[in-house]
Amino acid sequence: MKALMAESKITPSGSFPLAARLRVETAVKPAVVRRDSWLRLRGREGVLFLLGIALLWQFVSSSIHFKGAYLFPSPAVTLKALWGSLPELLKGTVSSLLVLVPGYALAVAAGIVWGLLVGTIPWVGRMFSPFARLASPVPPTIYIPYAIALLPTFRTAAGFVVFVGAFWPVFLNTASGAASLPQRYRDNARILGLRGTEYLWRIVFPASLPHIFSGMSVGLVFSFIMLTVAELFGASAGLGRFVQLYADYADYPRMVAGILYTGLVVLLAMELLEKVKRRALFWMK
Amino acid sequence: MAGAVTVTMNFTDTRPTNSISDSGLKVESLRFAYNGTPVLLDINLAVAEGEFVCLLGPSGCGKTTFLRLLAGLETLSSGYLSWKGRPITGPSLERSVVFQDYSLFPWMSLVNNITLALAKSHPETDKKWRLNLAEEFLEKVGLADAARKHPFELSGGMQQRGAIARTLALGSPVMLMDEPFGALDPVNRARLQDLVLDVWANATPRKTVVFVTHDIEESLFLADRVVMLGSSPGRVIQELRVPFARPRSRRTLAGSREFQTLREEIAERFRQDTLQRIEAESVVSGDAEGI
Repeated sequence: MKALMAESKITPSGSFPLAARLRVETAVKPAVVRRDSWLRLRGREGVLFLLGIALLWQFVSSSIHFKGAYLFPSPAVTLKALWGSLPELLKGTVSSLLVLVPGYALAVAAGIVWGLLVGTIPWVGRMFSPFARLASPVPPTIYIPYAIALLPTFRTAAGFVVFVGAFWPVFLNTASGAASLPQRYRDNARILGLRGTEYLWRIVFPASLPHIFSGMSVGLVFSFIMLTVAELFGASAGLGRFVQLYADYADYPRMVAGILYTGLVVLLAMELLEKVKRRALFWMK
Repeated sequence: MAGAVTVTMNFTDTRPTNSISDSGLKVESLRFAYNGTPVLLDINLAVAEGEFVCLLGPSGCGKTTFLRLLAGLETLSSGYLSWKGRPITGPSLERSVVFQDYSLFPWMSLVNNITLALAKSHPETDKKWRLNLAEEFLEKVGLADAARKHPFELSGGMQQRGAIARTLALGSPVMLMDEPFGALDPVNRARLQDLVLDVWANATPRKTVVFVTHDIEESLFLADRVVMLGSSPGRVIQELRVPFARPRSRRTLAGSREFQTLREEIAERFRQDTLQRIEAESVVSGDAEGI
């Protein structure tokens, strides 16, 4: 009440300022404010935006005056195509994951181990940093033709570029996490006499986990980019191959369905990683 | 106020006249500079085994640096530092540290924090023995029920008790404590002071404790001897033996005139030191203006 009095003094007329009056009303009966229908949209902006996109999509695809409308199959047609090609898409997913998972897993393992060493041992850091600075900014897609020429099968070539795409983000984040290990953990470990692999594994690794996970999620996105681009080049199966194939046949409903489906797969993979991260970092507050 | 000095002040020079014995912690003409700036200047100190010494000083006087030097976490610029006659060259399990920020590893449960330490201090033992010992010490600090909890689930006071339990479990003869209760509320602070005193008094052999604080009353309550550090650069400005018999009661101490006078004298000594420093600085800057 005191606060209200103080606030009311500010207005020249001496009457209750609007903000104060509103606060009183919400305090007494919140229903008064909630009646305002605009406020009901709070927290649902995301869904509404998606709805808007869908409407726009429907509008564009059904507009007969628009010459390129055939390039925009309507939502209904696309969903039908998606349903129809689901077996083929699932098969493609398996084929894609058989390339992506080993490449990504290897990149994560190598990126973490090497990142911890580079971030912890000064001379290893000094040795590797110049090379990392040189090699890490190279867009990994540029390796694809070379990898295909160099490696015996498409699968190993694609796996390799997935590895390269995911390695650098994981490595760079792990190294910076290890290098910025808080002094107090370092002091503590020194007093306890923790050294070598034990120090890396029990102290530096867990302390760097937040960095490692952000590297892993960037790496995961890169992996999918590398994978699909590689598949556009020369795969016989897989998600990128699916989209490329139906684009060649000008079957745009299936092509769009393939894009939507791929997006969904990436989203699920990211969600899975996020779950793992939340579990692993339960101790962070 | 000046008259009180002769009655109660017991400022004695307790520095060793020579280094005959090879016992306890010894600090001789220690200097420490950071990037060319002197942080600690010509420190001499001897801490007997089993003694409880408080390093008292304002923030920025280098008392934390001094403790880190004792721990072996920093390298001194010149001088000599030893424990039981052996020079201190690096960290060791003989000298465990309790830091202000608790310093438990947050990704391990309390009990795992302790067993990890035990695996290093008692490498010959098996897992079960370490687990039992860890639980025993957690019980000692009143954390038996929190053994499986992680630091984020615990209050600051509980975390600090966990850190103390770890130090105790290590069995280090020297405990270095860097403002361990600085971040705690008064109730927890008093409780942990009692805990530390209890542990110190009942351990056989008695632990040697160097306890850093900026709280005059805390130092008078805890210590056998208070070493006052002045700042810029850090140096010992005075040492005094705390005359109160143990066990000490907080209430009796706070009510006693001797305690109050001593507290005032210490505060006054720090004020003098600050004034002297300001005077010295103004002289220096005056010179600089002349140039």
